[in-house]
Amino acid sequence: MSQLLEATFWSATVAGGLRLATPLIYASIGETFAQRAGVLNLGLEGYMIIGALTSLYVADPTVAPLGFLVGGLAGMLLAAFMVLLSIRLYANQVVVGFGLTILGIGTTGYIFRVTTDVGGRDRQVSLPSEVDIPLLSDIPWLGDALFGHSWYTWLALGLVLVTGFIASRTIFGLEVKAVGEDPDAAAARGVDVVRVRTIATLMSGFLGGLGGAALMLGSVGRFQPWLTANRGFIALIVIIMASWSIWGAAVGAFVFGFFEALGFNLNNVFVDVPVEGLNAIPFFVALLILTASARWARMPRGLGENYVPTV
Amino acid sequence: MDFTLEEGEIHALVGENGAGKSTLAKIVAGSIHSDAGSMSLFGEPYQPVSRREGAAAGVAHVRQQLSLVRGLTVAQNLQLGRPDAPAVFNAGAARDEVERWSDEFGLGVPAETLIDDMALAIRQQAEILIAVAWGARLLILDEPSSALGPIETEALIALCHRLRSEGTPIIYISHRLPELTELADRLTVLRAGRVVVEGADVRDADLREVATLMIGDVSLLEVNRPEIQRGSTRLTVSDLSVSSPHGVGCHGLDFDVAAGEILGVVGIAGNGQESLAKALTGQVKLASGNVLVDDTDISGSAGQAITAGVAHIHEDRSNGLAASFTVADNATARHIGNRRFTRFGVRMGDKIAHHARELIERFQVRPPEPAAMASSLSGGNQQKLMAARELEQNPAVLVAHGPTKGLDPEAAKAMRDRCFAVAQAGGAVVVISADLDEVADLAHRIIVLYRGVVTDAFPIEDMTPQRLGAAMAGLSETSGVSGD
Repeated sequence: MSQLLEATFWSATVAGGLRLATPLIYASIGETFAQRAGVLNLGLEGYMIIGALTSLYVADPTVAPLGFLVGGLAGMLLAAFMVLLSIRLYANQVVVGFGLTILGIGTTGYIFRVTTDVGGRDRQVSLPSEVDIPLLSDIPWLGDALFGHSWYTWLALGLVLVTGFIASRTIFGLEVKAVGEDPDAAAARGVDVVRVRTIATLMSGFLGGLGGAALMLGSVGRFQPWLTANRGFIALIVIIMASWSIWGAAVGAFVFGFFEALGFNLNNVFVDVPVEGLNAIPFFVALLILTASARWARMPRGLGENYVPTV
Repeated sequence: MDFTLEEGEIHALVGENGAGKSTLAKIVAGSIHSDAGSMSLFGEPYQPVSRREGAAAGVAHVRQQLSLVRGLTVAQNLQLGRPDAPAVFNAGAARDEVERWSDEFGLGVPAETLIDDMALAIRQQAEILIAVAWGARLLILDEPSSALGPIETEALIALCHRLRSEGTPIIYISHRLPELTELADRLTVLRAGRVVVEGADVRDADLREVATLMIGDVSLLEVNRPEIQRGSTRLTVSDLSVSSPHGVGCHGLDFDVAAGEILGVVGIAGNGQESLAKALTGQVKLASGNVLVDDTDISGSAGQAITAGVAHIHEDRSNGLAASFTVADNATARHIGNRRFTRFGVRMGDKIAHHARELIERFQVRPPEPAAMASSLSGGNQQKLMAARELEQNPAVLVAHGPTKGLDPEAAKAMRDRCFAVAQAGGAVVVISADLDEVADLAHRIIVLYRGVVTDAFPIEDMTPQRLGAAMAGLSETSGVSGD
């Protein structure tokens, strides 16, 4: 119990939270774009896991950054099916999205099984070192909590700034919001609804793939079937909590990661409590925040509805 | 069709529903293409293939269905889809631009309010403002006043005059004649896709004659109108008002209908017919007044209305039937509230199918298949199915809204005969329709709705195109609103 009063417990929890949040940040900012554009992109879990496996298989013989990038492209490739089936051929978004998730989990598990013999020990990468930032990393408490992170985390935070700017300050961001709110009116104002939704969905696939790759290369290092373990769906929850804001999604991802890390670290404190109970903490917190978020969350009006051009 | 618009004029385009006004507007704006003929714009040949191309040439079409994106602000809509917008959205500059134009035209368009939170009239002003800011050289306003109150219409007229004084010509589509004398320079009358009057000077035009021309010949067709015995009053409507957030409600309506009588309610679509139909069938809360059926007050209660024997032929078959339900379920839907087809809360499929088969037989629904989906029937048979459901028992009051709309002649005749049969059986019938021939065929007496009030009422024998046209266009002396 006395551990709870030590500063290092909490700095380790904040640091762990940010590390666990990193894949979620990639996935949720991408998905925010798709959903703001009106595409309920439930294939996210699939994009993540395909990104994770691909990144491992590319990074193993080459270098991690290349694996990371190709992982993103693999997610984007899977998202292209969403574009083709739902945005172009008007198939139900929920059905296609779930289908892509199941396809991703199944395909990666299969490929992994047939390409490894020793339970995956022959395919693994070493985890990245922390980026050492002079001075800041040496600050007693904050240094450990906030600055001892790998480049995957720093890149995620950088992308939050970039995508946040795109969403709120560019004409493209405006078009994304317009086609998600009121696609008919947006089309009447000359916006190419199908094009904007296509780009937003492919972005979501790319960032989802990067999220899976960050999970693999940044914190796990080796694959196992269904490695992502619902992180794609957690990202979907984060987006609702954040009321479809990029900044909010980043904060929500961190909150989720923080409570997940807290659950892990409390296992060392309360050794008598079953692991499963403490690991459920982030989900209880998410449930509470989700319920409360009904007060502020405003869903894009056209979310989940296919747009069929009239001409 | 020939049509010319002079520089700096407001040209009114008038005509009935379906006369071709909106089609002409869409062709000019570029959203649809003409099959033959050519256009020129400010002396240049002009053949737009899309609305975007029309907009680039300076033609802005403000439609009835406004096209501002609802989840965005006016300033954001200003930049959305704008041909010369920079890639980065400058919120401050967009706000300033909206405010500058708003001030210039003396409007109160807020730059940073969501479109959702704005009244219809302000939205419309915002859309006109954006069109002008984008550099429109020609404006087409498609029935801009149809959902506006008198004060808002005044503001719209002032805005149009302001634009005219800047040299922007306007095509102003309307079927509200009174406002045109104040607004327009010239007018063109369309009927059934043809120009009847081209570019007449509004000051010289006799609006009564224009109203008559809009309607064309209304003839009493040789319908075999059966002799029907009148009885005592069955439907009494007193001081009925309904407010409608997105349209015209009705205001202070008083009328009654006797057993065996058919009352026709005419008016151009969108003048309160929808609200009246809902009020008569208990589907809307009344702002004032009441609706009595055989002395039972059914105001605001659809359940009461059904119990009191009110039948409703819905204007729109897709809303009047549950299309994804079977024919049998639809045919017996009026009995959902009672226990006729259930035992201990469980629906009895055999009994439902048996009863449905009887109704199908009686009302000649084809194919005679109770298990078929209602959506699989043709329009005429859907109408018969709706009639089967509503007219199974002799109704006390039948509210038939556009009962023969879109039906072929044979199906239309069958539907008319149903209405006569209801009257003959002692029911009171109200036929609401924008189709004058339909009303003329059926009704004994007519009331005319204009902006939700009754502007004229007369027996069918007194109906003349002049009188009807004047009342429908709001020119009638009895109209309390046309002058305000």
